[in-house]
Amino acid sequence: MNISAKVYGFMLLAYPADFRRQFGEQMCQVFRDSYRAEARSGSVTGFWLRTLLDLVLTAAKERTATKGFFMNRRTDAIALLGCVAIIVIAFLLQAYVRNNVPSIVWFGYILDPLVVSGVIGNLIVFVLNKTTKLNPLRTAVTVFALVDGALLLLIVVISRTGPAVNWIGILGGYVVSYAIWVGLHFAWHSMSGAGSSMQGQASS
Amino acid sequence: MAKEKPETWLPLTPAMFHILLALADKDRHGYEIMREVGERTEQKMRLGPGTLYGSIKRMLSDGLIEELDERPDPELDDERRRYYRLTDFGRRVAIAEAERLERLVKSARSKKLLSARGT
Repeated sequence: MNISAKVYGFMLLAYPADFRRQFGEQMCQVFRDSYRAEARSGSVTGFWLRTLLDLVLTAAKERTATKGFFMNRRTDAIALLGCVAIIVIAFLLQAYVRNNVPSIVWFGYILDPLVVSGVIGNLIVFVLNKTTKLNPLRTAVTVFALVDGALLLLIVVISRTGPAVNWIGILGGYVVSYAIWVGLHFAWHSMSGAGSSMQGQASS
Repeated sequence: MAKEKPETWLPLTPAMFHILLALADKDRHGYEIMREVGERTEQKMRLGPGTLYGSIKRMLSDGLIEELDERPDPELDDERRRYYRLTDFGRRVAIAEAERLERLVKSARSKKLLSARGT
């Protein structure tokens, strides 16, 4: 029961923050009461399925009904398209260099982490920014550090049994990739901060 | 908002109408509303927490229901629960919706989709 209630409480992150603040505690209480009643009749699986369906449908409805969702959708789309464009360009450059200019080895050391940590890191940052009130820039700095750290750890594990690797090249590539992604998030944060303060001045 | 005609709120969603019906005779908290709706409809209508509080949010902002400051039964109840009450405007909207549905049923009877007894 406690675990189920905690899982449900965590899943409430799917709702907008204002909705959670207003009704989150009540929803958890209703979930606990319903769960107890369903457990007595022995149909907890059906109850969970109904609750999940209800959560997915109503969370989507609340998110689309939130004014902020529509206000941020354009900037979200621009940021998302920008990230995808950078990753696609990095992919194309990677393929071009490997096929045509194999002597520029250092290029690959930068492009590999740029693509991999770009895909994973930006996805995590996007989800966290949408579901929590954490500072977006701090989130990006931390997430990319953790993702790059995890990928480097993976390379260490693989290299124990695999071929020898150029550690200077790999570390250099990850440092440059980290600087590029965090730098882009810093630039985006500064630009959107300036934009919102200008909006605030205009409205006042 | 409450000065507007009740008809402008129609048709209500099934969840909203069932919540108004649950509050028509008694002030209730969320789980009690959910349970009453389930019992009255023989579990054919089961409100999940998201549907329940999504509807409550809309009905609060539209002035159909209000949140109570005091709990009807403080001795017997958990103090964290919030109780809801039908407003006068909410009652008028519920009546208007019931009348709309009654007219629909009459139409169905006149087309022989339902027998005169309503079966």
